[in-house]
Amino acid sequence: MRPFLSILRREWQLSLRGPAPWALMGLASALAAWRVSAAGCSSALAAYQAKQVIVLGVGVLATLLAGSAATRDRRQAAAELVFAKPVGVSPVLVVARLGGLLVALALVAVVVLAAASISQRLLGGTAWRPLPYVAVFAQSVMPLAFACALGFSLSSLFTTPLASGIATIYWVTVPLARAHIPAILDLTLSQHWAVAGLLSVALISLTATFHGRPLRGASPVGVRLGWLTVVALLLAAVSVVWVLAAGDDALVNPDPVLVAMSAQSCLPGKRAPGFWMPDARGQLVALSDYAGRPAVVVFWSPAAPESAGVLAGLNEVAEEFSGGGQARQEEGGVTCIAVCLDRDAGTVGLFADQVSDRVALVWDRGRHFGRGAEWSDSPIATCYDVGEVPTVFLLDRDRTYVGQSQGEAGSSHLRRSVSELLSKP
Amino acid sequence: MEVEIRSLRKVYPGGVVALESLDLTVPPGIFGLLGPNGSGKTTLMRILAGLLEPTSGEARIGECDVRRDRARVREMLGYMPQDFGFYPNLTAYETLDYFALLCHMNDPKVRRSQIEQVLDRVNLGEFAGRRVGGFSGGMKQRLGIAQALLNDPQVLIMDEPTSGLDPEERIRLRSLLAELAGDRIVILSTHIVTDVAMAAERLAILYKGRSLFAGKVEDVLAPLRGKTWIIDIEEDELSQVRADFFVSGVFRSATGMQVRVVTEEMGHARGYLAEPTLDDAYVFAMKEGAELGEAV
Repeated sequence: MRPFLSILRREWQLSLRGPAPWALMGLASALAAWRVSAAGCSSALAAYQAKQVIVLGVGVLATLLAGSAATRDRRQAAAELVFAKPVGVSPVLVVARLGGLLVALALVAVVVLAAASISQRLLGGTAWRPLPYVAVFAQSVMPLAFACALGFSLSSLFTTPLASGIATIYWVTVPLARAHIPAILDLTLSQHWAVAGLLSVALISLTATFHGRPLRGASPVGVRLGWLTVVALLLAAVSVVWVLAAGDDALVNPDPVLVAMSAQSCLPGKRAPGFWMPDARGQLVALSDYAGRPAVVVFWSPAAPESAGVLAGLNEVAEEFSGGGQARQEEGGVTCIAVCLDRDAGTVGLFADQVSDRVALVWDRGRHFGRGAEWSDSPIATCYDVGEVPTVFLLDRDRTYVGQSQGEAGSSHLRRSVSELLSKP
Repeated sequence: MEVEIRSLRKVYPGGVVALESLDLTVPPGIFGLLGPNGSGKTTLMRILAGLLEPTSGEARIGECDVRRDRARVREMLGYMPQDFGFYPNLTAYETLDYFALLCHMNDPKVRRSQIEQVLDRVNLGEFAGRRVGGFSGGMKQRLGIAQALLNDPQVLIMDEPTSGLDPEERIRLRSLLAELAGDRIVILSTHIVTDVAMAAERLAILYKGRSLFAGKVEDVLAPLRGKTWIIDIEEDELSQVRADFFVSGVFRSATGMQVRVVTEEMGHARGYLAEPTLDDAYVFAMKEGAELGEAV
């Protein structure tokens, strides 16, 4: 173990010594702190803002660094020196190289999260909690590992930094354009961790198999790990099939119930469409569970910083007007439902302790992409025709849609609107 | 322990024949591999270092076949390639520490003492804390030698180790090799005849993938004894002498011009016998090799 750690330390020095990585780390931290200060928010929202920076910014950095590490020996003409050494062709070296990078990048993630945390404490004002930061750290490590494996393997197998450029394009385009490509390709989502992890193992073992092949004119002499590659690829394929068959990627696998629900439309003065959505614990919450009570339905996203104010307003309303707690079908009081529009299944859990237990926190899978989308991967937001996030919908006792407000304006009028709703028979 | 090479052949993809059925036995001591560029020296060394797969034939280091027991061969081998570089952002000490780790030297104390020892041996002790990126060509060459010595190898393979070294460093390297040799095998490839003449006990002369000669240095000189001559000539005689004899070298001295020739019979009035040198033997072997090639 100790020699492995020593190699890891040297690998870290090889990849991250010099001013550039530290400058990037500072930049990422500043960006995270700025996003948090702009959001002025809770720990969960602050951690989520930092996560965007880590998964996108640091993910790109990871791919490039890993690609650079993979071609370093050849670039610096040290390949023959390394390959002639006993450990030079061992998979230990490949794993140590990736491990060194991953440790370094995990440190970057810690620094970025620390910057977000400090920013939240100094500027955000609301209660600071460590748990969301820890959760986001855990959620960020798998995409970073996959980014490292992807960059390293492509560059190593094709022996050109161009390959890591191609990997970087994946990393940039998939999260940014994920509405337009099959969701299964988006390995930044925590529901795809199994696929991302298995593909990482397959890539690393494939690289280790060919690592150490002579520089020219001969067959591979590397340690043969082909079987591990095959097993990991097979398991990854099984995971993909499982996600497609039983998973929750709406774009790939539209759930007929959700399609039917999204086909409804929400019109002022008419009965609002019903829905049935999972909460943070995976239990289904239906609008019909709260029949006979007025309802406040908030569509929000951690990506929209104004959501913090609206959620705080909803918490207050829930505490004040929900009457007998969360008990369903109870007379009196108002039903508060916060619908999270984020594609990552891990996100809802992150916010579970941030909203009052009198608010039902549910997940309308996926991101909402605005007015006019015929089928987005947020079916309920589509049928409610949510144009801007956050949006607050008010439904009276008959579930008739009586009004909505958008943006932060929603929170200021919320109490008055709810009082009016409750005063109606 | 010996290095045994039997019928070793290497054909690169594209059909270039680098080694043509080579047979060689290398006993302990310094063994010089002489040959022009493209004669197959580097290919042979890379095969021995396990970096290249031979097309056919066999190469053994002691009991280990270089193809089958690659891991064991690497354990007992120190290799310094012809062209190499280091990671510029590591210091000399860190570089050697990294390579020592790759040699399974897991105990930090052993690693430290070994690194300090090899750094002193190649005279880089005072530069241990300096980044390799700022090293001169000669310093990098010495660091290359240092990394080959890290695991105290039984077989040391050095491909053109003296290129890029200044005269003092070359002398130092030769002394170091002499020191190291002992019961080790040191294979030294070069196209500089003087390096072999000064350092090696045995040598092989390679030409187009074949061995023209393999044996002790005095044995390569023996056939030329009594056939190597020096002729004092005037400048305008040179072309005539070249036409009449096989010229192995032309020199200028204070008294005029001298030509070294290899011939059975001396028909020139100002010719006198001389002691053959390795230069004479090498140039003569090259001529024979070329003739053999033409005949084939």
